[in-house]
Amino acid sequence: MNKGYPIKIYNEQELRRSSLVLGWSEDIGNLGRKATGYLNRKLKGREFAEIEPEAFFPLGGVAIEGNLARFPESKFYACQEYELVVFQSDSPGAEWYKFLNSVLDVAEQHCRVKELYILGAMVSFSAHTAPRQLIAVVNSAEMKEVLGQYDLARDMDYQTQPGERPTLNSFLLWIAKERNIPGVSLWVPIPFYLAAMEDAQAQKKVLSFLNERLNLKIDFSDLDQEIREQNEQLAQLRSRFSQIDDYINRLESNLMLSEEENGELIKKIEDFLREED
Amino acid sequence: MGLRLYQEPQLENPILVASWPGIGNIGIIAVDTLREVLEAEEFGGIEPWDFFYPKRVLIRKGILEYLEFPSSKFYFKRIEGKDILFFIGEEQPTEGGRMYAEGKKAYQMANLVLDVAEKFKCRRVYTSGAAVALTHHTTKPRVWAVPNSESLIPEIKGYGNTILMSDIEGRGGHGNITGLNGLLLGVSKKRGFEAICLMGEIPVYLQGLPLSYPKASKSVLEVLSRSLKIEINLDKLDELDRKAERRIEEFYQQIPLEIRGQLDRLRHVTYAQPDEPGPITEEEEKRIMEDVEKFFKKRGGGG
Repeated sequence: MNKGYPIKIYNEQELRRSSLVLGWSEDIGNLGRKATGYLNRKLKGREFAEIEPEAFFPLGGVAIEGNLARFPESKFYACQEYELVVFQSDSPGAEWYKFLNSVLDVAEQHCRVKELYILGAMVSFSAHTAPRQLIAVVNSAEMKEVLGQYDLARDMDYQTQPGERPTLNSFLLWIAKERNIPGVSLWVPIPFYLAAMEDAQAQKKVLSFLNERLNLKIDFSDLDQEIREQNEQLAQLRSRFSQIDDYINRLESNLMLSEEENGELIKKIEDFLREED
Repeated sequence: MGLRLYQEPQLENPILVASWPGIGNIGIIAVDTLREVLEAEEFGGIEPWDFFYPKRVLIRKGILEYLEFPSSKFYFKRIEGKDILFFIGEEQPTEGGRMYAEGKKAYQMANLVLDVAEKFKCRRVYTSGAAVALTHHTTKPRVWAVPNSESLIPEIKGYGNTILMSDIEGRGGHGNITGLNGLLLGVSKKRGFEAICLMGEIPVYLQGLPLSYPKASKSVLEVLSRSLKIEINLDKLDELDRKAERRIEEFYQQIPLEIRGQLDRLRHVTYAQPDEPGPITEEEEKRIMEDVEKFFKKRGGGG
């Protein structure tokens, strides 16, 4: 199915039966970038291939993020010892079908990938003190059965609402199904006031699942420390601002906030966490 | 990327009628109504994945059941000596979030449609869309016709309720047709098909609204049926028009009185020949356009 798409392979990999984990860089709570970055760091992932950007991204200039110029990247990393391939990429802005097929071309033809794990996050209106859930959408009944032993919400019903479009993750999952690659799209709900920041607890949730499923033997003590720090920061904020504490209390009691209150909570938390960083 | 034809109907020098959604959905409603009234049969389509982002996903009990893409379908109808092929695209393929198709994808799609026209030895191609005009929604829309060959002009002049670009004051026979409804006309010329684009007039103040304008679709269909020499029942379009009319009137009443006063003057506008004085002056026309633009800007983008 390789149709000559612009793929650069730097080193061929000796993988026999690998799994592909994919995360997008601009995810809610930065989940895709953080989780795939964490895997690469902990498992010593080595970059071995990339997809050239010109067909898939508008290249009319560069984006600036955190004072730095950013250029779209779509890179593959191999963690040989664990039969794991990690793909970290910006979401393409055009030619989605070609792009997603290119990803699976590399996975199948160069890495013998047998399973696909797509990471994603969604906005939740719960408080950060609530445990994170992990929702799984699979592309086959067999995959659903295989995942039965893990702590996953596996029975979601959903259809696109008027005015909306399916996510890129659903598009990829569907292409994988067409190519007979069993796959799962994993979704972690992230509290709305952390959506533009980071949520270490959400990262841990998805990474713990991958750790267990793919037998990666990861020591999460550093991530646990991050979770503790973030929780402490938020606790500090609550004790300093009674209004914020009240908002979070209400969310903890499953009460909705008004749009204005939501906005205030987001702003206060983002300002505070940025200051602390 | 390609065509999928499920069957190969035997057709005798058919004509091809093609349309995609556009302003007021004028062309697509006209063509789809004709297809429906004639009970044309689906026989193929264009594979969507290279052209479109999916439009709907269905997940049931945690399993992705299907992903639906915008459709691009071919239909046929055998009518003694007047066989018709239809192409109906549910969306125009766009690149980089533009509203109407342009560039490589649009050209590829236009060529795929014409590959089918060539395969079935089509003798002519019709496309249809909208013409934004200084008219009023209570008047009968005219049809602007643009052929891709000089030899078609005498025929068009005989259609009735139809005008050529040169008949429109101030245009000097010039203009352009955005998106695939226009592009197909040009690609037809390149590939040697004679083609005509029929555009129903839509009042300038309705162009940005998410409303269909079946009144203009009816005008297009009247012209098309005359051109094809077939009789069709337009009851369905009349019903659609009545419904749309109510929503348009509601919107119209929300337009500030001073602008509405200007627009009311369009109730009596008919297009003049280029050498005749127009029913409203150029200056008045400019003012109306400015007022309408200001109103939509204030409203937040006109829709």
